[in-house]
Amino acid sequence: MSDMWRLLKLLRGEWRWGLAGVGLSAVVSLANTALLGLSGWFIAAMALAGHGGPMIEYFTPAAAIRGLAILRTVGRYLERLVTHDATFRLLTRLRVWFYTRLEPLAPARLQQYRSGDLLSRIRADIDSLETFYLRVFVPGAAALIATPLMGAFLAWISPRVAGVDMVGLALAGVAVPLLAQRLGHRPGGEAVALRGRLTADIADLTRGFAELTVDQALASQMARCEETGVAQLGAQRRLAGIGAAGSVLGGLVAQLSLWLVLLLTLPLADGERLSGPDIAMLGLLVLASFEITAPLPAAFKALGEIMAAARRIFEIADAVPATRDPARPEAAPRRFDVRVDGLTLRYGEGQPNVLEHLSFHVPQGGCLGIVGPSGAGKTSLLNVLLRFLEFQSGAVEIGGVPLGALEGETVRGLCAVVAQRTHLFNTSIRENLLVARPNATDAELHEALRQAALLNEVRAMPEGLETIVGEGGRNLSGGQARRIAIARAVLKDAPILLLDEPTEGLDAHSEQAVLEALTRLMRHRTTLLVTHRPQALRLADKVLNLGVCYGTSPP
Amino acid sequence: MATHAPPMSRATAKRLNAWLRGRAKPVRAALLGAVTAGSCGGLLLVAQAWALARIVDGVVTRHLGLAATWPWLWALLGIFAARALAGVASERLAFAAAAGAKQTLRRELHAKLASLGTSSVQGQASGALAALLTDGLDKLDQYYSAYLPQAALAMFIPAALLAFAFPADWVSGLIMLASAPLIPLFMVIVGKGAEQLNQRQWRRLARMSAHFFDVIEGLTTLKLFNASRIEARIVERMSDEYRHSVMAVLRVAFLSALVLEFFATLSIAMIAVYIGFRLYYGEMSLLPGFYVLLLAPEFYRPLRAMGTQHHARMEAVAAAEQIVALLETPAPERLSTQGKLPDARIRMISLEGVDFSYRSGQPVLRGIDLTLKQGERVALIGPSGGGKSTLARLLLGLATPDAGRIVVDGVDLRGIDPQGWFARVAWLPQAPTIFHGSIAENLRLAKPDATETELRAAAEAAGAAGFIERLPRGYDSLVGEHGQGLSGGEIRRLALARALLKDADLLILDEADASLDAAAAAAVNHAVATQTRDRAVLVIAHRLESVADADRIVVLADGRVVETGTPAELRARPGAYAAALAAYGGAA
Repeated sequence: MSDMWRLLKLLRGEWRWGLAGVGLSAVVSLANTALLGLSGWFIAAMALAGHGGPMIEYFTPAAAIRGLAILRTVGRYLERLVTHDATFRLLTRLRVWFYTRLEPLAPARLQQYRSGDLLSRIRADIDSLETFYLRVFVPGAAALIATPLMGAFLAWISPRVAGVDMVGLALAGVAVPLLAQRLGHRPGGEAVALRGRLTADIADLTRGFAELTVDQALASQMARCEETGVAQLGAQRRLAGIGAAGSVLGGLVAQLSLWLVLLLTLPLADGERLSGPDIAMLGLLVLASFEITAPLPAAFKALGEIMAAARRIFEIADAVPATRDPARPEAAPRRFDVRVDGLTLRYGEGQPNVLEHLSFHVPQGGCLGIVGPSGAGKTSLLNVLLRFLEFQSGAVEIGGVPLGALEGETVRGLCAVVAQRTHLFNTSIRENLLVARPNATDAELHEALRQAALLNEVRAMPEGLETIVGEGGRNLSGGQARRIAIARAVLKDAPILLLDEPTEGLDAHSEQAVLEALTRLMRHRTTLLVTHRPQALRLADKVLNLGVCYGTSPP
Repeated sequence: MATHAPPMSRATAKRLNAWLRGRAKPVRAALLGAVTAGSCGGLLLVAQAWALARIVDGVVTRHLGLAATWPWLWALLGIFAARALAGVASERLAFAAAAGAKQTLRRELHAKLASLGTSSVQGQASGALAALLTDGLDKLDQYYSAYLPQAALAMFIPAALLAFAFPADWVSGLIMLASAPLIPLFMVIVGKGAEQLNQRQWRRLARMSAHFFDVIEGLTTLKLFNASRIEARIVERMSDEYRHSVMAVLRVAFLSALVLEFFATLSIAMIAVYIGFRLYYGEMSLLPGFYVLLLAPEFYRPLRAMGTQHHARMEAVAAAEQIVALLETPAPERLSTQGKLPDARIRMISLEGVDFSYRSGQPVLRGIDLTLKQGERVALIGPSGGGKSTLARLLLGLATPDAGRIVVDGVDLRGIDPQGWFARVAWLPQAPTIFHGSIAENLRLAKPDATETELRAAAEAAGAAGFIERLPRGYDSLVGEHGQGLSGGEIRRLALARALLKDADLLILDEADASLDAAAAAAVNHAVATQTRDRAVLVIAHRLESVADADRIVVLADGRVVETGTPAELRARPGAYAAALAAYGGAA
């Protein structure tokens, strides 16, 4: 329930638009109900008058019928406009809110979510949260407003009819959907799980198509996909059956309410306690009132998914950042040697130490090579230096200033990073370079590319700097992507360089080109170079083997 | 996927719609059943209106009490029950139709893929193909379970209601008849104009979402450049701009929906008012009047429902475009496959003047001559993009040369039954796939009857036994999409074990020792060498140091063999290999 409350609080910023949408939605459904009820009354009363019954003033109801028809259609138009506008406003708020919560968490706190493929999950969850207003809030709140008004009007004529209608609406709008949801819980879960398995099986089939062909296992993998497909259809069939039963049951409740209302009101006609036209109106009003709760089953179904998504999103948003900026930060240092003294790091309480009593000193302009088996904490060490990770004990200083006394942004302003994996944004090469220096001129961009040994290749591309790099940089080769990262480092022109396996996974020619570019970049910069490529290690003045320390001067 | 696809032409959309309808033939019985049940529901609605009108007429004009009304009340109950049954039956049958259509289509697509071979699935296209086989097929669901039955009902129910309304009151029937064509007309306008704008906006929304998630993925990179806080404002600005532009479109798009509803609602109101006045002047009795009033909204309901099904149709047509394109891809021609390979180990495989290109005008391999002998270890090196992996695909039989030929012990590879050839080759691709399942299942892919001992031996040789045995469930550990996460190096070693387990005559290893440290790489190379002593082995390497112990090195650059010889010969000769080695600093 508290998740729901938080979700509503996120909507609060746009409450005017949000409530206007709900109000219009309630008006539309009431106008629709009134239209049918009034038409029924009008026809019956006119017939009665035509048969020599009491004369009526027909001008007003006839105009009201036309008015309600117009109110209904125009209201519906406005409702759609307002609710869509509100949805987009909320979408903006939600994304900005989530982004600002996520930003301090990267990268240390987000790594722990990696396992479940954080990004695709966030994507689906945010998409699902964005529909909360339109799919759940508007129909739910509108029904909460319209139903009591409807009940009050009916009660004014006949409390018993009102009672029947309210019970019917509660059954059709709440009890039946909840029941269907409960029954659908298991097949729903199965359908989702089988859908996941089918996706995995098909991904295996398409990704491993060549291997399956060579290994003559194509037919068996296809048979497996078909089998999973059939199983998934089975679960979906059960789910659809429950859904259909629910909607039919909802309809039946509406019809039975009408029936009961007839049963209750027909005897009243005898004693003239209710007129014939009133009975016609009551019957039609009750029948039409079920349009108020018609969207609720879908809303309940969406609510389950959305609350699960909200729980996951809030869990991420509530994570505590790995580092905290000092209350009174020091100014940036003026020297750029790096000193690490007795550094001990672990990821959490009770976890084993990743780094233990590590000490080294890199003089300004020097280059320290760092080697060690995977899992030795090489990348974690760089993350400590970038103030992405807090350490447990020891001291880390840049230019004599303790790292903890500096703001994260200050520290990161001093460091340029070239990593094995650098994210390239799905935009042009130019935009990707401008991340490092937003106001760089074309001449500066060209110079950076030249230093990164990439200029000729970029010039050879038909679109040059405007070439779109594709999702995750897939239009570029691994070596080109790496050299874009180097060009960014050139543009950033920071005094400290952190290189994390800068040549891993490149072929000999690309490795050579990257190494040459790095050699130029490292001149006059303090460098920490993590690698296990012997060619790259030649750039280092000293080598630190994590675990075993040799070749470094004692701190 | 195809986010920048141009809008489809009308002719194409029409053709695809016809194709989709044609696909309904195998499930015609179920569809017909769904429509019949739906039609029964529609007719029951008429009966319900009549019964209700009788009751109201009884109480208003004839002052009948409850007692006299009971038969009609019972009839109403019966009608309600019958409508419920018809509703359930209709939904069930519609689902069965969609499920059946989907299942047959999946089988057909699989058969097509198998006949097309790997040319249909390459590199980046694999994700798009997977999306087609999952989401693409799902998008057809609504077409068969909702759109098609609804389209039939939208024809039948209004016509039936009209037929029942006319005898009761022909003027109201005329109003309905006159206003009805306006609704499909406006639906066409909605479909042609606004829907297209809508589609464009949805694509924009998709692009904006893609940007948002791109930013989230690159958050660390943005933080490194202290650019992450600015990005929040960019996200806000982009969303706001999107809102403004999309609302401008929606104001118009919703307008056509407004006109649509306006006609339906106003017609009902007109009928009500008109009937009212005729009743007032005694030109009509209440029974037919009330009956027609009840029928009027039901007359428009299926027509309006079609509007909401329009989207399902658009989606299905878009998905069908890709499905049809795949199904209509011509299968590659096959020569007669009468050539027989000897049962013994293959002794010699040669490429004779082989040319190959994926797209005409962009040759990948040119005039390749190369021979692999039994027991020989040949290393293929050269810059990336030089054609090494393509050459491997040709040797594996996954692609055929444009010119020249591949000869296996005197027989042209094109004349050999592909399955017979696949049984003779094993392959470690550059980016191996780990399939969802246990490690043992993954290893047994090519040799389902391999014994435990054979599994262990292969894993041992590939340097994979260590990490497999450290896993909590050893060889039974689940890997792949939902299983144990494996590192890149572990995946390669597992795939190497898989390749070694297959007792093939030709082994092609694309970077067997990548992501291994020097000692482990040496151990793996040694183990592979001993395991494959009587087979031909082609090793593709990006790094020079890993090929120093090959029997022969072939240097491939720009699609040509530029150098070939033993490692010692090549070192001595002033060529590409020696130059690369020198640039490298003689690490090998």
